[in-house]
Amino acid sequence: MTGLVLRRLALIPLVLLVASAVVFCLPRLLGGNVTRSVIRARSLASAPDPAAEARLAAELGLDRPLRDQYLAWLSGAVRGDLGRSFTTRAAVGPEVVEAAGVSATLAVLGLAVALAVAVPTGVLAADRPGGVGDRAVDRVGAMALAVPEFVVGPVLVLLVAVWAGWLPAIGWGSPAQAVLPVVTLAFFPAALAARLVRAETRVALAHPSTTTAVAKGLSRRRVLAVHVLPRSLTAVLAEAGPFLAGTLGGAVVVEVVFGIPGLGSLLADAIGSRDLPTVQAGLVVVIAVALVLTLATEVAGRALNPRLR
Amino acid sequence: MRWLIAAALLVIAVIEWPVEATDFANRLDPPSGTHLLGTDQLGRDVLARVLGGVRWTVGLGAGAVAVSVVVGVVVGLATGWLDGTRARVVATLVQSVVDLVVALPALLVGLVTAAVLGPGLVPAVTAIVLMGWAPFARLAHRLTVSVRGEDWVLAARSLGAGPVWILRVHVLPAIAGPVREALTARFVGAMLTLAGLSFLGLGVQPPTPEWGAMLAEGRTYAFVAPWLVAAPAAAVVLVSALAGRGRVR
Repeated sequence: MTGLVLRRLALIPLVLLVASAVVFCLPRLLGGNVTRSVIRARSLASAPDPAAEARLAAELGLDRPLRDQYLAWLSGAVRGDLGRSFTTRAAVGPEVVEAAGVSATLAVLGLAVALAVAVPTGVLAADRPGGVGDRAVDRVGAMALAVPEFVVGPVLVLLVAVWAGWLPAIGWGSPAQAVLPVVTLAFFPAALAARLVRAETRVALAHPSTTTAVAKGLSRRRVLAVHVLPRSLTAVLAEAGPFLAGTLGGAVVVEVVFGIPGLGSLLADAIGSRDLPTVQAGLVVVIAVALVLTLATEVAGRALNPRLR
Repeated sequence: MRWLIAAALLVIAVIEWPVEATDFANRLDPPSGTHLLGTDQLGRDVLARVLGGVRWTVGLGAGAVAVSVVVGVVVGLATGWLDGTRARVVATLVQSVVDLVVALPALLVGLVTAAVLGPGLVPAVTAIVLMGWAPFARLAHRLTVSVRGEDWVLAARSLGAGPVWILRVHVLPAIAGPVREALTARFVGAMLTLAGLSFLGLGVQPPTPEWGAMLAEGRTYAFVAPWLVAAPAAAVVLVSALAGRGRVR
């Protein structure tokens, strides 16, 4: 197990190197006119004159050979300097780190809420077939799976913030501002997890070990919590990679909807204005996080399920 | 029923709706007799724009899935059929690429594509196809492997039929059922990814009446004109609910 973890850890920098080369070089090769987009983002001028474009290209280093540009960026990156934004000229590194912190908070809260709702619901739904929980997983779950974040978010804003006026519609920082984004983000993972947990709990309930626990005279609650629950979480954990990735994708939309200064909205803005340094830094961070998380979920899955070892 | 819905959507998509027609005197008008779903900030009829959006949101989603299914099934048939050591190595390689692509979140790929090619319709559709072929390739591969040894395939072989003929005439019809089943779920996924990218401003750009882009535009006016949010949101939910249950991300 340690060997596997070390091998996979060693692979991460390699994958990151390839990924960084791709996200650095491809936009410069295929991305059309970067300087024009940057000028447009800075000054709203729709047709800048060629001299200004050439000056900007020189200023941003876009006139140098691609290989030199990449090596310069890479040597900076390994020393922790991710360059300066094309549009604002601010240092990209601190900006990305700060945004990533916000996104991480949002994603962790979203996942925590999703699991807090989904795990008990899934277990109880399997324990009482046809009961309230079971039907809720079927009906609400099906709806939650069909409705994307970019619909849930604006509709929640409309209902809760605009009409009822209970919570602020946008912003980030106070607990009240966190409620709507976290609920929006939790919607899809909660529905997915509830289904996975329910399916696995059904299997676990039929397992001989459950019969033994019941025959020992344990209370129903104890049987469910101690004997059934651990067996019901392997699928959720095994799916945790795509799950977290999905949360990541959902988080981009949620951040844009609620005006949250996270990595997702930073990336969406930077891509829109062709601010390549910010895009590169943001994507490399996202990919690194995804790689580490995938490894972590695999380790957790093995720790929880002895048969995988 | 499904065909009826598809036919209705096709008719709506083909019709030229007056999506750009502005009624400047009646901007941000609530739903009324003249404008059933109200008007937007430029006085454009929201109903016309929602109907006009079928061509973009539903049409592009369906188009992207159509390309994905053709590419995916061809790849899956080929890797499932290939025999011999060297061919097996190629097939295994292709299938590990498939596994990798299936594991990537669609919106992240959309972000990367938009980062590489710049925001727009073409990059967004490219991203969906880049993602979309893999699940079909995986499915077709598994199904092909499972029917490859059947007696009727061996019979066709012993009659001297070539691989392309066998795959087209004997294998493809046998695997078509499950592929067709997967089609609607994947269509919903493709449509939602496209609308999501457009919502983020990275896909189809305004003033094109794509539902995700309309939602993003309408959000600015949510306080004074909630129908600008409600109408495209309802359209997206309606179509994904009609097309199939749930999405696969």
